[in-house]
Amino acid sequence: MPLFQSDAFKRAALGAVLVTALGPRIASATLGEPEVSVQTDVARAHASIKSSQDRASYRVHEIQLPSGTMMREFVAPNGKVFAVAWQGPSRPDLRQALGQYFDAYASAPRSKLTDRRHVQIQQGDLVLQAGGHMRALSGRAYLVSAIPSGVNVGDLH
Amino acid sequence: MASMHALRMGLCAVLCVTAIACSGGGGGSTAGSSSGGGVGGSSSGGTSSSSSSGGGSSSSSSSGGTSSGGGTGNVATVIIDQGPSNASVNTLFATVTVCVPGSTTSCQTIDHIQVDTGSYGLRILAPVLTLTLPVETVTSGNSLVECTQFVDGYSWGPVVSADLQIAGETAHSVPMQVIGDPRFTNIPTTCSSTGGTQEDTVAKFGANGILGVGPFELDCGDCDTVARFYYACAATCSETTVPLNLQVANPVTRFTTDNNGVIVVLPSVAAGGASNVSGSLIFGIDTQANNASGTQTVLTLDQNAELLVNFNGQAFAQSFIDSGSNGIYFTDKSISTCVAPPNDPSSQIVDFYCPANTLTLPVSIQGMNGTMTNNLTFDVGNAQTMLNNNFDAYPQLAGTVPAGNAGTFDYGLPFFYGRRVAVAVENDKTSVGTGPYIAF
Repeated sequence: MPLFQSDAFKRAALGAVLVTALGPRIASATLGEPEVSVQTDVARAHASIKSSQDRASYRVHEIQLPSGTMMREFVAPNGKVFAVAWQGPSRPDLRQALGQYFDAYASAPRSKLTDRRHVQIQQGDLVLQAGGHMRALSGRAYLVSAIPSGVNVGDLH
Repeated sequence: MASMHALRMGLCAVLCVTAIACSGGGGGSTAGSSSGGGVGGSSSGGTSSSSSSGGGSSSSSSSGGTSSGGGTGNVATVIIDQGPSNASVNTLFATVTVCVPGSTTSCQTIDHIQVDTGSYGLRILAPVLTLTLPVETVTSGNSLVECTQFVDGYSWGPVVSADLQIAGETAHSVPMQVIGDPRFTNIPTTCSSTGGTQEDTVAKFGANGILGVGPFELDCGDCDTVARFYYACAATCSETTVPLNLQVANPVTRFTTDNNGVIVVLPSVAAGGASNVSGSLIFGIDTQANNASGTQTVLTLDQNAELLVNFNGQAFAQSFIDSGSNGIYFTDKSISTCVAPPNDPSSQIVDFYCPANTLTLPVSIQGMNGTMTNNLTFDVGNAQTMLNNNFDAYPQLAGTVPAGNAGTFDYGLPFFYGRRVAVAVENDKTSVGTGPYIAF
């Protein structure tokens, strides 16, 4: 049974294929929600989709935010976003990116050994990890239960 | 050895009481522009470092005859203690005097400002600030307020203008931030949506403020063209671009002299840890006899103030040496991490390393200029064992890098122990190179 229904995803099954110029077709920015909804999110953030790439068992959208930060969204074969990652001078809007999981992140207990350089949180299904320093912040969040089989968590960045 | 530890702990007990007393009263005292506190003398700034001055401080003779809060000339006394939150580890503090611009009497000296070579600009927590400093305005006449992002949270507060004095160095009308200012309490959702902890109290911040003296001049850089971090606020706030001269600036770059960088000088620290370690923060590089460059290794930094670390046969391209990191953070899956104690099952000690025996590991650090360190090693101790000693400075404290930051080796304050580390500001020249660089 094919993992994906679209032609693009069928090609992906044969190997990683870079699909460029997808234009305004995609990009949900919210963890755990469908990929399709969110043209509007990109528009609202005045962001642009740099590329979309199909890998063996997921799709990655790379979104350039006007703040200078690059965001990546990882979409599972079921069409849902299972991970987001960011790298740049500032964090993206994590309330939007994490959706219903934002409150779990915001209220997670803080390490007593905090130094404003590292975050490693697991709250229920949500894992959020971040690091860096002023002017160079990076991190990622994913849903443990939603990671497609065969995906190496280390590749999600 | 046991008696040494006992001695240190005894010393700690005495000095920690001082620290608590100092921070409990609001963390600062009002003072004139000359607030005493010469090296080795008593300090009106309330630092708990009165007996040790670190290296090189007696040879300085610098701009101006005044001095402030633990230091003279171009040398500020810095200390590693448990800080105003009584919970700090490997955290370096200095004392800073801020004045209303143009005034030599409306001044306040504030201790326990964290010295951070990984950020830019002075930020002070509102609860410790008794002065009213003028808020910067943008062309619309609205107040300029910043949403500063740290990895684990954000700090909201206005950009104000202040005259600064650190040791004998002065700077006029420097843009700095007041965090948690009660005049600006409506945090825009675009700020709070960046997530994490709102770091707006001394307890949450772990310091009375932070002194960002990293290798760049500004905390944003291109915010004159990109709306990021800064807001124009009246009844409501909206994101705004900001001219370079209003962005929060590394105060060293605004000193009248000795303004091309800093040198952090800290003593070696006993393997198991120590309390109340003191050293020096020297301003300027090759501007005076006490800050001359020698034959040290000069590693230039990239556009993110980062360099390359080679460890375990792997290259970590987003690495940094940083006084604001409280440990050595890197990835080595062969080293055991700590186990949470039964009475604190969610303890984040599990993110730190707990090898059965102390490990000595080779590492090489390479600058953008291709220069690489020789024969460098670092030690990794058992984090749980050392933290049980309740010291303030731990040279062997190491932890894991968050898995999403696999390209990073974060070499924090332990790197600075027993070293003289120079941080040169971007585009500024010294006798051995042009910033941004780090040299040791």
